[in-house]
Amino acid sequence: MKNLIHKIRGLRVFVLFLKEMRQSRRDRKFIAALILPPTVQLILFGFALNPNVTDLRLGVVDDSRSVLSRELIAAFEASGSFRVKTYFASPTVLGQELSAGKLDAGIIFPPDFARQRERGETAKVQFVLDAVNSNTAGIASGYAQRIINSFNQQFFKSEAGVKLDGATTPLSARVALLYNPGLRNSWFILTGVLGILLILNGTLVAAGAMVKEKEVGTVEQLLMTPAAAWEIITAKIVPLCLLLSLDIWLALGVGWLVFDVPLHGSLLLLYCAGVLCVLAGVGLGTFLATFSRSLQQAQLLSFFVNPPLAMISGATTPIEAMPMWMQAFTWINPVRHFSTVARGILLKGAGIEILFPNLLVLMVFAFILVFFSARQFRKQLG
Amino acid sequence: MEALLEITPDVVAREMLTMDWDEPQTIERSATAIKIRGLRKSYGALEAVRGVDLEIQRGEIFGLIGPDGAGKTSVFQILGGVMQPTTGEAKIFGQSARETRSSIGYLTQAFSLYQDLSVAENMRYMGELRGLSRAEIQRRGMRYLKLFDMDRFTDRLAGRLSGGMKQKLALACALITEPKVLLLDEPTTGVDPVSRREFWDTLAQLSADGMTIVVATPYLDEAERCHRVALMHDGVIHQTGTPAQLRHHSGLKRLEVRAADLSRAETLLCKVESLADVQRFGDRLDVMARNAETAEAITRATLRSAGIAVNEIRAGAPTLENTFVAILRELNGEVNTPAFPVRRKFRDRAPNAIAIGAHELHKRFGKFHAVKGINLEVKYGEIYGLLGANGAGKTTTIKMLCGLIEATSGELTLADEKGGFRSSFVRQRIGYMSQKFSLYDDLTISENLDFFAGVYGVPPAERAEKMQWALEFSGLAGRGNMLTGSLPGGWKQRVAFGAAIMHEPSVLFLDEPTSGVDPLARRAFWQMINRLADRGVAVLVTTHYLEEAEQCNRLGLMVAGELVAQGTPTEVKAAQRGQLIELNTSAPQQAANLLKAEMESWRVSLFGDRLHVIVDEEVLSAIQNLQQRLRRAGIDVRDAYEERISLEDVFIAVVEQARREGKVAAED
Repeated sequence: MKNLIHKIRGLRVFVLFLKEMRQSRRDRKFIAALILPPTVQLILFGFALNPNVTDLRLGVVDDSRSVLSRELIAAFEASGSFRVKTYFASPTVLGQELSAGKLDAGIIFPPDFARQRERGETAKVQFVLDAVNSNTAGIASGYAQRIINSFNQQFFKSEAGVKLDGATTPLSARVALLYNPGLRNSWFILTGVLGILLILNGTLVAAGAMVKEKEVGTVEQLLMTPAAAWEIITAKIVPLCLLLSLDIWLALGVGWLVFDVPLHGSLLLLYCAGVLCVLAGVGLGTFLATFSRSLQQAQLLSFFVNPPLAMISGATTPIEAMPMWMQAFTWINPVRHFSTVARGILLKGAGIEILFPNLLVLMVFAFILVFFSARQFRKQLG
Repeated sequence: MEALLEITPDVVAREMLTMDWDEPQTIERSATAIKIRGLRKSYGALEAVRGVDLEIQRGEIFGLIGPDGAGKTSVFQILGGVMQPTTGEAKIFGQSARETRSSIGYLTQAFSLYQDLSVAENMRYMGELRGLSRAEIQRRGMRYLKLFDMDRFTDRLAGRLSGGMKQKLALACALITEPKVLLLDEPTTGVDPVSRREFWDTLAQLSADGMTIVVATPYLDEAERCHRVALMHDGVIHQTGTPAQLRHHSGLKRLEVRAADLSRAETLLCKVESLADVQRFGDRLDVMARNAETAEAITRATLRSAGIAVNEIRAGAPTLENTFVAILRELNGEVNTPAFPVRRKFRDRAPNAIAIGAHELHKRFGKFHAVKGINLEVKYGEIYGLLGANGAGKTTTIKMLCGLIEATSGELTLADEKGGFRSSFVRQRIGYMSQKFSLYDDLTISENLDFFAGVYGVPPAERAEKMQWALEFSGLAGRGNMLTGSLPGGWKQRVAFGAAIMHEPSVLFLDEPTSGVDPLARRAFWQMINRLADRGVAVLVTTHYLEEAEQCNRLGLMVAGELVAQGTPTEVKAAQRGQLIELNTSAPQQAANLLKAEMESWRVSLFGDRLHVIVDEEVLSAIQNLQQRLRRAGIDVRDAYEERISLEDVFIAVVEQARREGKVAAED
C-alpha cells in the first residue's frame, strides 16, 4: 500500500496534478467562480424565471350588484392571481384605466347577470385583459377561465341537490398532474438551469485555467520539462472536473433548501451525468482557450457559445415552443440531454434503463469535445 | 496617427538648442527635493524598511544600491505615493508623497506600457491622462523621443520594441508630464550595455535640467554616474556619499592581477590573511589591500609558489563595485555556495562530443528574418556565452536550440540527438531557465521546488536534499513557505536557477540568469556554473554583464540575427582593432558628450566615472590630442593611459558600428 502511494507520488501526472491543485487553492477568484455564480444564478433563475402570475390589478364594474357577482369577485380575489384595485361606475372609465396601464384586467358584470342565472340561462360576464405582454395575458386569461370553471362547479354542487334536480352536470375535464403535483414551475427551471450552469461554469473556468500559463508566461518553462503534452492537459482537466463537479452538490443543496426540489432517483447516477456535463463544458473551454491569448479573450469568445447553448436547450423554455428547424438543434446540445436526465432522476425517479439514450449521447459529447480540444491545445503547445 | 507627432525639423532643432548640456555639477543644488525621516515599513512580521533618513537635493541623481531584498523597492513605493509607510515620513518639496503624485514620475521594474498601442499612442495616452493639450504632447513627446534617439519609431507597437527601447519609451511616457522628481526602480535590468549607457546619458541631461532623480540599480558601474549614492542593507542605510567618497572610505587600494589560471589563483589568494578581499572581474582578479606594494609582493609570491604565471599586476583606485562587495561581505559574511549533492554519474562521452550544435540555423517570423544562418557548437564541459543587444535574436536562437520553437531551416544537435527534442527522454537531460517567469508566483518556494523536482523525476529519496540545497543556494533556508510572488526579482532568479539544475542535467540553457541579481549573488551563480561545467555539463548562457561573460570558455556575439564574432574571450577581444585609452577626468559626463560630438560616437563610452576612448593612431599622441581637446573645454584630465580592451568595449564598438551601418534591423 505504502509502495503504491509512493509510486503514485512519483508519477509525473500526479506531480502536475498536485501543482494545479495547489495553485487553485490559492486562487480566490477561481474558488469564488466555483461557488458564487451557481448559487446566485440558481436562486435568481428559480425565482425570476417563474411564469406564475400573481396580484394582477383587477378593475370591476358591477352593474349586477348581486350575491352572485360578489361571490365571483371574491373567488377571483381568493385565487391570489388577481387583486381588486378599483370599482368603476362605467365600462368606459375602466377601459381608460386599462389603456393607461393602471390596470392589468377588468371584469364587467351586466345588470342582468344574476337574473340570467336565476332564469337558468348562462350568465355572462365580460373579462378584459391588457394583452401588451401576450404571455402574461395568456396566463391570466387561463387563470380567469379556471376560476370561473371552478366557480361554476361549486355553484352547481351546492344547488344540485336542492333545486336543480335531474339537471345535467356540466362537463369538466379532470386533469391529473403527475410528477409535479403542485405545478411548481421552479422545479422545471432549476433542473434545466443546473445543466446550463455546469456547462457555462465549466467553459469559463476551464478556459481561464488553460489560458493562464500562456498569459503569465510560465508555459515555456513547463514545456521544457519532460512532461508530455497529454500529461500537462490531463493534469489540468482532472482537477477542474473534480472541483466543478462539486457544483452539482451545491446546486442540489440550493434546490432542496430553497425550492424543495425532490429526489426520487439515484443520486450517483445524477452525479455521473453531471460529471459528463462538466467534461463537455471543460472540453468547450479548452477549445476556446486555444484561440485566446488572455483570459478576457477566452471569456469574450464564450459569449458566442454559451447563450445559444442555454437558449436552444429547452432548459428554461419549452422546446415545443421553438420552430421545428430549431428544435432539431436541441438534439446536439448536451444541456438538453442533461436536463432530461436531471428531470428524470430528480422528479420522476427514472433509472438508467430509461435514461440511457440521453446518458450515452452526453458521454459521446463529453469525450468528443475533450478529445478534440485536448488535441488542438496540444498542437498549440508544440 | 501620422499627424500625431509630426513636427517640423526646425522646431526640433530649436528644442535641442534650448536644452541645457551643462555638466550636472555646475547647477546650483541648494533646494531640498526629498526629505525622509525615520521611515519604517512592515509587511506583517517582516520589517522591510527599518528607519531610513535621507535628504536628496534638487537636480541630483541619487543612487540607491544594495543587495536583493534590502528594502529599496519599498522606499520607492512610499516615495511614489503608492504605499503608506508604517511610521515616519517622506516629504517631496515639503508635501507628502501622496499629495505630490502629479509631479512624480515613477518607473518600476515591470514595463508599464500598453503593448498594443504604438509609441506615439502610448505617449499621447499618458499626456491626455494628465490633461495636456495635443500641441503640448507633440512638442514634449517629440523632444524626448528625439533625445532618446527613438523619433523614427513613433508608429512601432510598444510590444514589438526591444527591452531597452521599451524602457526608454516608458521613461519618455513618465517624462511627458514633466515631473519634478523621477523615481526609477532598476530601470535597466535586462537592458543591454549600449542601451544602458544611452539611458544614463539621458538621465544626466535631465538632471542638468534640474530634475531630481532617485534610481536603484544592480549595475554598480551605473551607480558611479550618480551624484550621491546610499548603500542600503537589511532595511537600513549604511553609507551615503559621493561615489568617490564611498570608494575611498574603506582606505583600501586595488591591484589588478592578470594571471594564467584565474579561478585557481582566486581560491589561493582568498586564503591569504593580509589581503582584504579578492574579487574576480572578467579576465582579472581585483585584490584589495591596505598597502599596494606589500600586497603585490605577497600576490606574486603566492602565485609563483603555486606555479601560476602572473601576466601583469597594476595598482589602481578601487571601483564602487569593489567597495560594495567588500562592505557586503563584511555585513553578510561570505556567500557560501553549498556543495551540490551530486547523485548521478555523468555518462562517459567521446572527448569533444557536441552537446549543442547548430548549422545554418534560420528563423523567420513572417517577413522578419530574426535569425540569419547561425553556426555554433558547444561541447560537454564548455560554457558558451551568447552575447548581443536586446532584440539581436539571442532568445529566439536559444528557443530553437532547445526545441521550444521550430527552426525555419538548419540542422540541430542536442544532447546527442539529431531530432525529437520534444521527447521526455531528451528533456530529462536538459536544464532550462527562461528569461522571465520561470517559477509559479502563486506557489510557495518549496512547492515550486517540489514541482520541478517531481516533474523532472528526481527520485523521491533525493528530493529533500536537493530542495534543501536549492534553498540554501538561494539564501532562503527556512523560508520555503514564502509565496514566490512576494520575492524580490534577484531572489527569484536564484530559486529558478536552483530549480533548473536539481535533476542534474547534462545540458543547461540559461537566458539572462543573473539579470537583476546583486553582485555577491552573481558570484555565487558563476561559481556554480563553473562547477557544473567542471563536471562535464554543457552550458549555454546569455548575460548583459560582460565581465561575467569573460568566464565563458567561448563566446558568440550576435548582432541583428547574425553571429558576427565567435571565439574565446581573448580571441574576441583581440579581433577588435584600435587601442583603448582610459581617461580619468574632472567631469566625465561632459567629457563624454564633447568627445562623442567630435568623433564617431561608438569610440567613446563611459565606464563608471572613467572614459574609454578607442583610437586608431599611436597611443601617446592620441592621449595628448585628447587632453588638449578636453582642456580647451575646461575639463581637467587627471590621468590617461592605455588600457586593455574589455569585452564590454568590444560589445559597444560592434553594436554601435552595426547600428551605424543600419544593420540593426530589429530596431529599424
